[in-house]
Amino acid sequence: MKSNRALILVFLALLFAWIGQVAIGYVQVGRLEPILNEETNYTEPPVPSGFAQTGARVFASEGCIECHSLSVRGPIGSSDLTRGWGQRRSVPRDYLFREPALVGFSRIGPDLSNIGERIKDPAELMMHLYDPRKRKPASTCPPHPWLFEKRIAGPKTENDALPLPQINWKQTIPSYSAKSLVAYLQSLNLSYALPEAPLK
Amino acid sequence: MTSSSATHSKASSASLVLLGGSIIWSLLAGGLQIISTIKLLIPLLSRLLPISFFSYGRLVPASTFLLTYGWIGAGLLGVLLILAPRISGIPFRHGRFLIVGALLWHLAVLIGFTQILWQGSTGLLSLPYSRSVTAVFFVSFLILGIGISRGLGGTWKSGPLLPRLYLLGALLAFPLGLGTAETILRHSLAPGSVQIITQLVWHSFFNHLWLTPLALVLLFQLMPSLTGRAVSSLPLGLLAWIATFTLGGWLSNSLASDGPVPAWMQSAGVIATILFFVAVLGNGVLLRPLLEGKMDEIRRNVALRFLSVGAWAYVSAYAWLTFLSFPGVRQTTAFTMVSSATQTLLCFGFLGCVLTGSIYALLPASRNVGWPSHPALTWHFWCTTIGLAITASSYALAGIFQGLAWSDPGVPLSTISSYLRPFLCTAIVGQGLWLIGQIAFSALFFSTVLKLFPTTAPLAVFPISIVDHPDAVQEIYS
Repeated sequence: MKSNRALILVFLALLFAWIGQVAIGYVQVGRLEPILNEETNYTEPPVPSGFAQTGARVFASEGCIECHSLSVRGPIGSSDLTRGWGQRRSVPRDYLFREPALVGFSRIGPDLSNIGERIKDPAELMMHLYDPRKRKPASTCPPHPWLFEKRIAGPKTENDALPLPQINWKQTIPSYSAKSLVAYLQSLNLSYALPEAPLK
Repeated sequence: MTSSSATHSKASSASLVLLGGSIIWSLLAGGLQIISTIKLLIPLLSRLLPISFFSYGRLVPASTFLLTYGWIGAGLLGVLLILAPRISGIPFRHGRFLIVGALLWHLAVLIGFTQILWQGSTGLLSLPYSRSVTAVFFVSFLILGIGISRGLGGTWKSGPLLPRLYLLGALLAFPLGLGTAETILRHSLAPGSVQIITQLVWHSFFNHLWLTPLALVLLFQLMPSLTGRAVSSLPLGLLAWIATFTLGGWLSNSLASDGPVPAWMQSAGVIATILFFVAVLGNGVLLRPLLEGKMDEIRRNVALRFLSVGAWAYVSAYAWLTFLSFPGVRQTTAFTMVSSATQTLLCFGFLGCVLTGSIYALLPASRNVGWPSHPALTWHFWCTTIGLAITASSYALAGIFQGLAWSDPGVPLSTISSYLRPFLCTAIVGQGLWLIGQIAFSALFFSTVLKLFPTTAPLAVFPISIVDHPDAVQEIYS
């Protein structure tokens, strides 16, 4: 075999992989648009706030994706819906505004695609980040105390301080990263129906 | 010293820089992997040591990054720097640039590793580092790739064809894959789930079109040289080569089990995985006769021993991947620890053993030195193979149990975690054994390179020359 013929063959094969998947994938799912909900006048999926987008990067950097997936499967061949992780399966349109778009390939803990619907109270999510066992004693999720600051309490406790006993007059205040991460988790909500994925 | 021998000396130094660094990264990666598995087994540790850079979410991507880019990537490039002029008989030019390229590669690994630990990963599959690290990898690969491409020079009518073909493909796949993934993912060119598709394609490129072909270059070049036998069927080899590069980019689609990518892509991923395995079997058929009836030589020659295990792990890893891609199996085992079993078979088994065997074969031949301790070679071999067998089987069984438990909605998460504990314990034992073997290897490597002890173990035996143009290379290496 001649070297230039081999070069052309390899190049075409590699190009075939990119064009066959990314270009066709773009035509198929890259041009999807959000659906307008005429009752609420909001789009579905909703556009996340800039703060939640920042939280998405914190989610990625803390490596939450190593244990939690962001993709509900089912109803056939999976128990995701029965476990209450969502009311329907995830579809490409759900990821329209996700930056970065992550799905995760490992589950040590539950899927988080619908965590915003499952845990509505941001304080509860904040406490889970600080110390998961305070919320669920059997949780194997590691605590993230570096996302919080210990600050001397003034005459009044700050509004966003965690409801923890003060040691040496110090209160536990969530950092900007912790707040944005909670905002991101709250934005993960699949409780809307899509034409290709109706609610069960 | 003549200019050609000075160039050779610098090229040889570049390969030593790559190999020495890669062995250090492998020790670090092995250590971090054990720590992360222990943290998974004993969650209490995370509460006792709540440090951001020591968290499970950062240790896992950091150890995977070190393992793939640091140990396997740098090591394979280092070995190919030794092998490339021997394939074609064309000497290196500008050896100093190769040293710069080698140092840049390690610099990129160091920055990437530090970033992942201190600032966290990007979360992207096989692309956990920042844009600046990509740039350094790119420049480094450009320099090293140009050097290694000397192996493609000369006439292709004589000498082994398959190693050159795999080398050609691998040299193209890395920059094309990394460049395209980087452009699409970091410049917001792809909306939503197209990003997920891009990550899957890049993951395929990285594992199956870059690392795997680089290891196949070594298998097809060194096994005939070490056994003194030729590959029996060139048409079958060409067919397997074409299939590898046509299908390799599609393999990771089968990972997205019912995920947010078009259904046809998942089906295409399954078909590609099965057909790719046929290509792997084709290569297996070509490699098997080389080893037939050579048990005595395999026992005697540690390089051949590692290469044989690597060849077996190659077939086993892709057989396992094919098994996992079948729809029923995929639905059950998706998101479980079977992916760790695949990584163990592919990285530690196939790529790691081929890399180690190649170092054992080529380093003494290129530097005219031998290994200082024969028992240490044996310890390294048995610790590595037993360690990887225990780790892979532990993760495989853990994943299957985990998948079956996930399928039953009545089984709570805490119960599933408790199911995993015995398997995690045995996996830690396996990882520990591998690390002990790797420590023995690093001691051997550095004492050989630094000539700390006299040679007691025999050099790797080459019954036939690994050089197609002995005269030209004799000049370079004299």
